[in-house]
Amino acid sequence: MFRSLYTAASGMTAQQLNLDNIANNLANSSTAGFRSRRIQFQDMIYQNMVTPGAAATQQTTVAAGLQIGLGTRPGVSEVVQTQGEFSSTGNTLDLAIQGTGFFQIKMPDGQTGYTRSGSFTQDSQGNVVTADGNPLEPALTIPASAQSVTIGADGTVSVTLPGQTASQQIGSIQLAMFTNPGGLNSVGSNIFMPTTASGDAIVGTPGGTEGLGTLQQGMVEQSNVNVVDEFINMIVAQRAYESNSRVVQATDQMLQQLNSLGR
Amino acid sequence: MDSGFYAACTALMSKTQALDSVANNLANVNTSGFKSERNQFSSALANASATGASPLNLAVNNYGVLGGTRLDLSEGSLQKTGNDLDFAIDGSGFFAVQTASGRMYTRSGNFQIASNGQLVTPEGDPVLGDKGVINVSGGKVQVGPDGTISVNGAVAGQLKIVDFPSTTQITSMGKTYYSAPASAEIAASKSSVQQGVIEASNVNPVSSAVELINVQRQAEMMERALSFFNSDLDKTATEDLPRLSS
Repeated sequence: MFRSLYTAASGMTAQQLNLDNIANNLANSSTAGFRSRRIQFQDMIYQNMVTPGAAATQQTTVAAGLQIGLGTRPGVSEVVQTQGEFSSTGNTLDLAIQGTGFFQIKMPDGQTGYTRSGSFTQDSQGNVVTADGNPLEPALTIPASAQSVTIGADGTVSVTLPGQTASQQIGSIQLAMFTNPGGLNSVGSNIFMPTTASGDAIVGTPGGTEGLGTLQQGMVEQSNVNVVDEFINMIVAQRAYESNSRVVQATDQMLQQLNSLGR
Repeated sequence: MDSGFYAACTALMSKTQALDSVANNLANVNTSGFKSERNQFSSALANASATGASPLNLAVNNYGVLGGTRLDLSEGSLQKTGNDLDFAIDGSGFFAVQTASGRMYTRSGNFQIASNGQLVTPEGDPVLGDKGVINVSGGKVQVGPDGTISVNGAVAGQLKIVDFPSTTQITSMGKTYYSAPASAEIAASKSSVQQGVIEASNVNPVSSAVELINVQRQAEMMERALSFFNSDLDKTATEDLPRLSS
């Protein structure tokens, strides 16, 4: 049978997947701390009908081989780690990281998750938690009587208590980073989990020499989805799908004519 | 049997192969660093009967076949991604990659950092520098136009960018890897590395679409020729001729 049918089908499947990914990126274009993903495609194996450089005669070799490729396949979908834009919210517990670090979150199953989304709130005991109620790690509790909370660029958290003029340090926020953040596993709710590809978390104090970045209080990092780029990708995906479907049509017509031979 | 019947049959087969090759180009229209394949048709007897054959013999037995495919090594457009680990080569060079099946070359510069800190391709194969693998862990990666990689300002290595003389046989290996004899390797002189961009596929959708139509119509013509032999000539020979003699 014609290879072109299957080759074109691989192209169409790839573009479908591409569109699925673009749709998810666009759907999260206003999710704070969201990291877009990009699918990378690869060409599949080649059928070597004549190997390039094979001997044509005893003295000469063929100038170019006859290689027929068998289509495309999605390689990896990589987390794009560009910085999202910051927007000022004025909330004391909104934190943005200017750098490559992640906040550490204690998940309900006891594991540590990592997030760039720094919109924290307090639960009934005063613990600093994510919107899902999972506590920040290391745990941070703000006294109910605190008048104001200040979080420094280096993660130091201090509060002013009633009747005191000097602020009092109650803890500090630590950040984590990864050797290969592109290999993190997205588990939803803005949480990433480490994998063998990402490497283990390197934990440190914000503003240190590791390059974790510094904290900005009262700011939230927006999604890093670039809507214009995604639209362009969408047009490309759609047109590529269309041209692959043209190949299916052409193959189908050629087969149809072949079948009608000898009638 | 009629020699023209086989000529049309051979041509039809070569057109279906050409269709396979166009299909592969179009399927990879979004594969970064992909180089499209161009079809080269040749006549089957071009080499075999260079001397001694009569012109008539050549004309009736010289069938058109798909002689080979040639890699179109022209540069694809550069797409900005903003990822520090996306590199593109402006010029004709290739990145050198160490794979399990030997040294390969690629134009697709969407690299990553492995958990051991090495700069690797999405397949996990280490990208080669002048002094072997490059360790890029622990900081902001920056690349100069000559391929020098620095991490947090400290030089970590220099990307090995190689070029090949135009006569070198370059074979597509899949995964946008290409193989070539290592002896042909020369240091690239007219290539510069750009950071935060990747090279898009060099498949031209317009020329591919035109080629697709071309292949389809030529195949149609060959099918017409086949059916002419089949229905008109053979029918006459098998059905009408016996009737004449009887």
